[in-house]
Amino acid sequence: MTNRWIVLMVLLPLLTGVLSTPIVARLRLSRVLGVVGLSATLIAGLLLLNNATSEQAGGILVSQMGGWAAPYGISLVFDTFSGLMLCAAAAVTLCGYVAALGTLDRTVERRYFHPLMHFMLAGVNLSFLTGDLFNLFVAFEIMLMASYGLLCLAGGEAQLRQAYKYVLLNLLASALFVIAAGLVYGMFGTLNLADLMRIVRETSEQGEALPTGFTAVSVVLLTVFGLKAAIFPLWFWLPDAYPTMPVPLLAVFGGVLTKVGVYVIARTFPPIFAAGEAAEVIVPILLTAAALTMVLGAIMAVAYRRLRAVLCMFVIVGVGFALAGVAVGGETGLAGAAFYMTQSMIVAALSFLVCGQIENRVGSDDIDDAGQFSWYRAAPWLAVVGFVLAMTLVGLPPLSGFYGKLWVVQAAFTGPDETPGHSVWWLGLAGLVAGTITLLAALRWWTGVFWLGREDQTEEPPATQPASTGPRSLTLAVALLLAASLWMGVAAEPVLALAKDAGTNLADPQRYITAVLQPETTEPSYASTHGTTTPANDQAHRASPSTPEHHAQDSTPPATHADDRFGPNHPIRLRGGH
Amino acid sequence: MTAVLAICVAVTFAVSVYLLLGRELKAVAMGVFLISHAANLSILAMSGSPILPTPDPELGITKRPPISDYDFDGALRHGDIAAPLDVMVDPLPQALILTAIVIGFAVMGFVLTLLVATSRKVQTLDVDELATGEKRHDPVERPAADGTVQGGAA
Repeated sequence: MTNRWIVLMVLLPLLTGVLSTPIVARLRLSRVLGVVGLSATLIAGLLLLNNATSEQAGGILVSQMGGWAAPYGISLVFDTFSGLMLCAAAAVTLCGYVAALGTLDRTVERRYFHPLMHFMLAGVNLSFLTGDLFNLFVAFEIMLMASYGLLCLAGGEAQLRQAYKYVLLNLLASALFVIAAGLVYGMFGTLNLADLMRIVRETSEQGEALPTGFTAVSVVLLTVFGLKAAIFPLWFWLPDAYPTMPVPLLAVFGGVLTKVGVYVIARTFPPIFAAGEAAEVIVPILLTAAALTMVLGAIMAVAYRRLRAVLCMFVIVGVGFALAGVAVGGETGLAGAAFYMTQSMIVAALSFLVCGQIENRVGSDDIDDAGQFSWYRAAPWLAVVGFVLAMTLVGLPPLSGFYGKLWVVQAAFTGPDETPGHSVWWLGLAGLVAGTITLLAALRWWTGVFWLGREDQTEEPPATQPASTGPRSLTLAVALLLAASLWMGVAAEPVLALAKDAGTNLADPQRYITAVLQPETTEPSYASTHGTTTPANDQAHRASPSTPEHHAQDSTPPATHADDRFGPNHPIRLRGGH
Repeated sequence: MTAVLAICVAVTFAVSVYLLLGRELKAVAMGVFLISHAANLSILAMSGSPILPTPDPELGITKRPPISDYDFDGALRHGDIAAPLDVMVDPLPQALILTAIVIGFAVMGFVLTLLVATSRKVQTLDVDELATGEKRHDPVERPAADGTVQGGAA
């Protein structure tokens, strides 16, 4: 269903960012504007998600930018999957922003912290919404440009030593993305994701081969998105670059940015780039990468001695689980991935903020240093929060980490279509092993920080240590995220239903294709009033390739000239004939 | 013409990969800039229609290659290829390139600023020295810092 309001998800952060640029020196005004803008984005996201699930919308809201019909213009698509991601991203950014207001140094805050935060959310939201491959590149660049700025914001030596890795690797990935997008356009003549899904689907239904080199493009795109998502072996920059950031920014980066990469893989790979001939190459790579990301990430989480790095590895383990769901595919696997990504955005942000509270007490994020602190006298509630957090990261049943992992592992054991031969049991086993190692890692940091502290220590903590766990805004953000996380565990039903719908849509893209390529027309089209061929007419022609008339054409001899690589009825040929 | 473009792309890629493997961040940055140019050139080389180059008898459309050669122009002038409008270049790849160039330009500005800031703060642009915090030749000069996972300024 057409809904022009979905553009608000990009416009609101963009507008807030533009407005907060000239008033960057007036902190109070910037803060009020920022909180209002981010809350408005979150509320708009929730309202749109509610609207999308209503009866007549059918789960998918579409807006064609500039009014140009689908394969010619840029489409924005808001379905249950992108809706879940948008709401979680807005919530995490809002909480990180609130936490930053009390935590960040004022001089750092004046270095255009507010506009950068809003521009980054605009880029993230556009990546979730867009239905066009090149527009996705632009969205990535908006997001990355702001994230480069935020990464170097504090300007400390440690940050500058690590920042170049993140920046240059992402630049390299962007160059590869441009090449891949150009190749896709050269092969299919379209960059619209729904149109690509339609072409790939119809090509395989007609039993024809996809263009030469399609698998190569898929591999290039997998590299690009895998680098953003930090899947094995492209994760090495993450535990280096991320821990140098201030905690609230770390929460937003760790929560949101890696999930953008996984989201794009989940959106484009099952229906397009892992379909047809490419499946033979891409699916084994995805399955292996998911298994290695989970297991090695969990082992690394045990190995690190600094809490920030440990939590970064937990983010990577989460990426591995979501990727496992995507790689197995099928409704259950993709639904599990959708739920797990939503949940792990919130929990990852929460974990970094709790880490910030521990650091505010102890003065460093070293697990052994934190263990020397007597938490039972100072802040016993933080130990409880930490325990709930650790168990959520592991995924014990009443907490929100459970359902996503359950669905993913279940899908791996039963296979995507629940036929006996298609089981990917070794991936399910890897998931269970990774879960066990994660338990070890979570208990290790929790006991290291809160449990093993020497009770008999005589010396009081030095007076230079801050007397609290941080400003009230940090506590508020932790409370909000903890509430959201607990709610997703105890009252998971609505989110689970949304994730189930998202999984169904991802496994069978027909609803997505129909919604984007054939929006119902409420006004008389240009063609009917002027009697000329317009994209709308062309679309009607294209959208019915399986009518008897077309099947009759299948038996006609192919075009006469020798260089014609595609038959007259080939999906690629059907496009653009006018 | 396609061959010439292909050679250009290959050479640019080779040079940028050589630069990317260097130790000095300036060289690495130049390599990244060059690789984005190579990406743009390769889009230009492969832009056009998937049904190039024969005229299509059904649709009567020939899309022109992005950089045409003299034969093609001659055929156009002689009237061997029908209406000029039908042989126009597909503008979309060029729009993609233009977008990528503009974005690349902004990013280039940022990266150079980052390098200047880094070299002022850390006094080096050598990849190893940035990682270890030690001068490669006289390690006593600087105090060793834990470069890999810093506590950071929270």
